[in-house]
Amino acid sequence: MTTLRRQLTSPLQLMTLITATLILLPLGYVMSQALSADPAVWSRLWSTRIPELLTNTIRLAAVVACLTLVLGVSTAWLVTRVEFPARRLWEGALVLPLAMPTYVLAYIYSYLLGFGGPIEQLWQTVAGPQARVFSPHSFLGATLVMTLDTFPFVYLLSRSALLNMNVSFEEVARASGISRVKTLWLVTLPLMRPSIAAGLALVILYVVSDFGAVSLLRYQTLTYAVFQQMTGRSDTAAASILSLLLVGMALLFLVTERWFRHRSRFYQTTGRYRTPARHRYGWVGTSLVTIYLMLVVAASFGVPAYLLINWSLSPEALATIDTRFYGFFANTALLAACAATGGVVIGLPLAYMANRRPNWLNLGCLQAAYAGYVLPGPVAALAVLVLCLNLVPFVYGSVIVLIVAYIIHFLPAALQSLEPALQQITPNLEEVARTLGLGVRQTWQRVTLPLMRSGFVVAWVLMFLQTMKELPATLLLRPVGFDTLAIRVWMEASEEYYQLAAPSALLIVLLGLPTLLLLLSKDWRAA
Amino acid sequence: MLQADLYQPVSSVLELRGISCDYGAGRPAVQNIAFAAKEGEILCLLGPSGCGKTTILRAIAGFEPVRSGQIFLSGHLVSSPDHLTPTEDRRVGMVFQEYALFPHLRVQDNIAFGLRHLSRRERKVRVQDMLRLVGLEGFERRYPHELSGGQQQRVALARALVQHPVVLLLDEPFSNLDPDMAGRMRQELHDLLRRTKTTTILVTHDHDEAFAMADRIAVLNEGKLEQFDTPEIIYHMPQTPFVADFVGQADFIPGTVMNGMVQTELGDFCNTLECEEGTAVVVMIRPDDIHLVPTKGATSHVLSRQFRGSENLYAVSLPSGQIVHSSQGSTSVYQEGTPVELRVLASHTVIFKQSLSARA
Repeated sequence: MTTLRRQLTSPLQLMTLITATLILLPLGYVMSQALSADPAVWSRLWSTRIPELLTNTIRLAAVVACLTLVLGVSTAWLVTRVEFPARRLWEGALVLPLAMPTYVLAYIYSYLLGFGGPIEQLWQTVAGPQARVFSPHSFLGATLVMTLDTFPFVYLLSRSALLNMNVSFEEVARASGISRVKTLWLVTLPLMRPSIAAGLALVILYVVSDFGAVSLLRYQTLTYAVFQQMTGRSDTAAASILSLLLVGMALLFLVTERWFRHRSRFYQTTGRYRTPARHRYGWVGTSLVTIYLMLVVAASFGVPAYLLINWSLSPEALATIDTRFYGFFANTALLAACAATGGVVIGLPLAYMANRRPNWLNLGCLQAAYAGYVLPGPVAALAVLVLCLNLVPFVYGSVIVLIVAYIIHFLPAALQSLEPALQQITPNLEEVARTLGLGVRQTWQRVTLPLMRSGFVVAWVLMFLQTMKELPATLLLRPVGFDTLAIRVWMEASEEYYQLAAPSALLIVLLGLPTLLLLLSKDWRAA
Repeated sequence: MLQADLYQPVSSVLELRGISCDYGAGRPAVQNIAFAAKEGEILCLLGPSGCGKTTILRAIAGFEPVRSGQIFLSGHLVSSPDHLTPTEDRRVGMVFQEYALFPHLRVQDNIAFGLRHLSRRERKVRVQDMLRLVGLEGFERRYPHELSGGQQQRVALARALVQHPVVLLLDEPFSNLDPDMAGRMRQELHDLLRRTKTTTILVTHDHDEAFAMADRIAVLNEGKLEQFDTPEIIYHMPQTPFVADFVGQADFIPGTVMNGMVQTELGDFCNTLECEEGTAVVVMIRPDDIHLVPTKGATSHVLSRQFRGSENLYAVSLPSGQIVHSSQGSTSVYQEGTPVELRVLASHTVIFKQSLSARA
């Protein structure tokens, strides 16, 4: 490379480096805090909290993974390989739970399964007045909520694997005299393995880093414990140690997911695409399929949405929709808009450099930016908080800290839509502009940026929506009295004011619906 | 730079002086390439994929720096190890393999893309002129995706030519068109470049394309220039076995120099290399120089026949097991196994030393 070239790209290069450093700095700080913590803190944690927290977290992740596997793959197979009435409708409906943040679903299930709640009443009419259902504030409750909320990841990945699979494989199996069921076991499922595994890794990552559901259901996991250490005891050393464990765990799952996704490329089959033949069952089979899907969708979205609407229309809830409520909405929108704009502006140079000059430096910077992925909300908050307190204490308690935490946490979402948008612009387009007499900057203005417009918009929207429903970092870092919709839901729900939490929750769900359109089209990874 | 200017031969629009480029540190892409293009000439860089021909094109455009050597465009130094004129200041036109039309712009805006400095009226006139030249009148308001492959190529061409480039660079221009269309576009493009007297460098891996288009051809192999000559000389007098093999079907028959003649299984040939007695050589023979005569009791026989429409290509097995190819008229059909005698047109053969033809 000549010096001239280096000069041309240096401002961007500099920006890339600075951004990557800024993102890694808080994370590195937390790590060093954890590693340099007093050994006494380590041993105390090892002998008291860590075994229980690790067991709880892993147990929850493992059971949820198994359940989502069954739910996700079975529903995906039904909508792609079976023909039944309103199939396309069900195909879309199965993604709906993703619009429901875990804390919303958790609060609805703590009502449904609660003492004297509707499910218990229903159960008592069947099994006698003394019968009880399991408490929502338990391992089972957390498992149920997390499963219902995350199975669409497995569903989406399995569905696209089934749709993109070369049907010839299944046809060859059938032609060799193997039954439908056996074909499923011997051919279809093994071919789907990489996609299923990637989906499960996403589920596990999600469960491990979830705060909303476990905090409302009071189920002790690592993420919840980090939050408690920070709020209850203000013990950042202990919180850092737990964060280190958490990041290590998340990293492990992320690497696994990457590995499977990488491998799935080789599994992708060539050849012309054909729609698979969809099997038609008799009316008994068709109704069974429909009932099954109806139960899944009702439990994960239909009933909760119905309750939210109902509660929102109750007089108590309607009374809360006043200027205060609009204030929360405005706060939420302001924070989300700032974070989304910041994320897109920061993400663009990173994505551009990694795609156009893919040397180890730029690729490393891009990977650093993906670190937000393995940072659960409380850890991102902890990282930014600790760093701020030590370096720039005067910004503590201001909105800036919160926005920085959001950007670090959600930058991967922006990058995942910016990167493909950039990859679609072949470098030839930029080069041809140069042969037509345009300089570097003009080429950016007249070719690269106009062509990336849709990628920009998608990235911005995704980051906006994710920030809008973010809970733990907001809880920890917001300025006093600066509440968002998510905070309101969580606060009211913790006090079991179900009706009062409903309007905010409903608004979050409604605003989240557009993301699902993106998911269903192709950008499912950005979830 | 001034000094370099003084040494310029006036006639050449483009000159490469011993340039070398790297892919990365220590991985040479092309080495010591030197050639020059005269005004209005169509030059073709021909070679298999990975031979470095596109790298040379990109070096001329200024996308690739050179590790050594110099590139001159109309007498000005534009590339050397410590100087790289930015592409936008070189006045080169380029048509990429996949045309690289801006998908967000209409045909007229694509063509006018580099004409920002002109007034709106003048731009319009220039665009209309170009559209007429490439035969796309009435398409100015279409978007690239609404055009066929051939039309897209013409737009890309118009966009490059409207700038009046010093040299036009074409990267595999016909590889994205179906063969029928490619043939027609080849003819059209050739006429157009002649009419506009555009100096052109064309990159291709297809020797038919190179023969049809080029005034002179540079054959490249593994980053080195093997031969730089007119198409006729390249075909009939290849300097290396690689060139001989690459620009058309060829068989290489081993032989030895005896009594001042090259003796081979197919007969004796003139010792054009003037080697010493006993030197091992190979003789290159093209299928159109071998004529088959079915003869009872002949020692060679037909191995297989490939029908190609206008001709039949025969593989013939000699008594030693050596296989040679012969192109016969479309109507002369011989069964497999037919014993044949071979008549060789000795005037067209080329002789190489054995060492040169280790691969043959």
